[in-house]
Amino acid sequence: MNSSHLNPSSSLKSRFTTRFLRALTRINARKPISPSSPREIFQRYRRIKVAADKSMASSVRSRRTWSRATLWKLRSRSCLQLASLGRRRSVKTSTITSRQAIMKKTSHEIENKTTTEEDHQDRFVGQADKLRELVPGGEAMDLCNLLDETAHYIKCLTTQVQLMRKIVDFYSL
Amino acid sequence: MDPPLINELHFSAANPSAYGLAEIWPFPINPGSDPNVATAGGLGFRMGNLGGFGDTSGHRDGSMEESTVTEQSVGYGAGTKRKDLSSEDESSKIVSTTTSANELNDSNGKRMKMLGTKNENAGSKAKVEANSAAGSKPGQNSKPAEPPKQDYIHVRARRGQATDSHSLAEKARREKISERMKILQDLVPGCNKIIGKALVLDEIINYIQSLHRQVEFLSMKLEAVNSRMNMNPSIEGFHSKDLGSQPFDVAGMIFGSQTAREYAQGSQPEWLQMHVIGTFKRAT
Repeated sequence: MNSSHLNPSSSLKSRFTTRFLRALTRINARKPISPSSPREIFQRYRRIKVAADKSMASSVRSRRTWSRATLWKLRSRSCLQLASLGRRRSVKTSTITSRQAIMKKTSHEIENKTTTEEDHQDRFVGQADKLRELVPGGEAMDLCNLLDETAHYIKCLTTQVQLMRKIVDFYSL
Repeated sequence: MDPPLINELHFSAANPSAYGLAEIWPFPINPGSDPNVATAGGLGFRMGNLGGFGDTSGHRDGSMEESTVTEQSVGYGAGTKRKDLSSEDESSKIVSTTTSANELNDSNGKRMKMLGTKNENAGSKAKVEANSAAGSKPGQNSKPAEPPKQDYIHVRARRGQATDSHSLAEKARREKISERMKILQDLVPGCNKIIGKALVLDEIINYIQSLHRQVEFLSMKLEAVNSRMNMNPSIEGFHSKDLGSQPFDVAGMIFGSQTAREYAQGSQPEWLQMHVIGTFKRAT
């Protein structure tokens, strides 16, 4: 029952590959052949990484909280970069951050009940918070859903790493 | 007053050390481990009481008539602690001794369950009771005869058989969480041998961090590889000829042989082909 939504099927792999290769070609097309400064190299590396995360998140669509959170984060960041001079965007981002802060606060309140149990449980809850930081979109979820999302996130991350490795191997031949 | 005198006699004879806490309260009373410790400590005097009961009930095997009398009187001991016993109850219980030799044993079990349900109604489960001992040694069970009109004797439900709605929900939630932890353990390599939620979570966090780092490293490598490839025209010339088969091969190599066949039918390889050819040609 769980395997249906936890297994990265071949369709997920194919979707990710096509999107990622597409983004890669776009990035390569943009680049001039002039010797690149370290800053340019860094910029390109960032773009590739963003493209990888973005293509993985779009392959999962909005079915998962972490993919929605990643896409949202990336889009808001790109909006920030595009409209860095405008003031309208800054208001928008402040509302976004405040909302995230509220969500984080509520999740902490929910978890405070469990800290009245043993010390082992306390440590467990502390690690759950750490997990929330790692998994995108994990701040507003209770422990049960968080573990679910973590499982799917790990599956997709391993797929992403696997495919990227294969692409690198192919291109470096 | 007769019953209190009888009680005094039995208390002097009773030796709480023999059938003490260990017999009746099987859970270890370690400070800090049991949330019920405070109440158990607070009700220590009642434990002493029951210890006395346990000892007297041990003599039951010797003579049935005596045991019933002792049980009845011993039952009053619990009553006197509350100072609520009325004289009519006592007399009715004395009358019923002859018939209740065997019934008492059965009714004790029943009374336990009744108290268990009463416990749900009262909503508290943190009080002392020999309920758990009942499961292990039904013969030696000593339950104070409970006057029905009195206030509730709070009973702690057996472990794993709580019927309180809150504890049931908690139990379901805990089971869900442990189920998900098992799935996660299967996902993360090397996590099967680790026992304990905190350690498993540690492993999971480390694994996710290492995966993030791998993605970063691979994207850096990709960046280097791509820039090198784009700057090298000879390789491109070589590539442009083979590009007809290249993207298809890319797909094949990436997915393995099975899905390569799917790609043969799909329109994606051609599109990919065109893109890669286009970018290479533009780069030259």
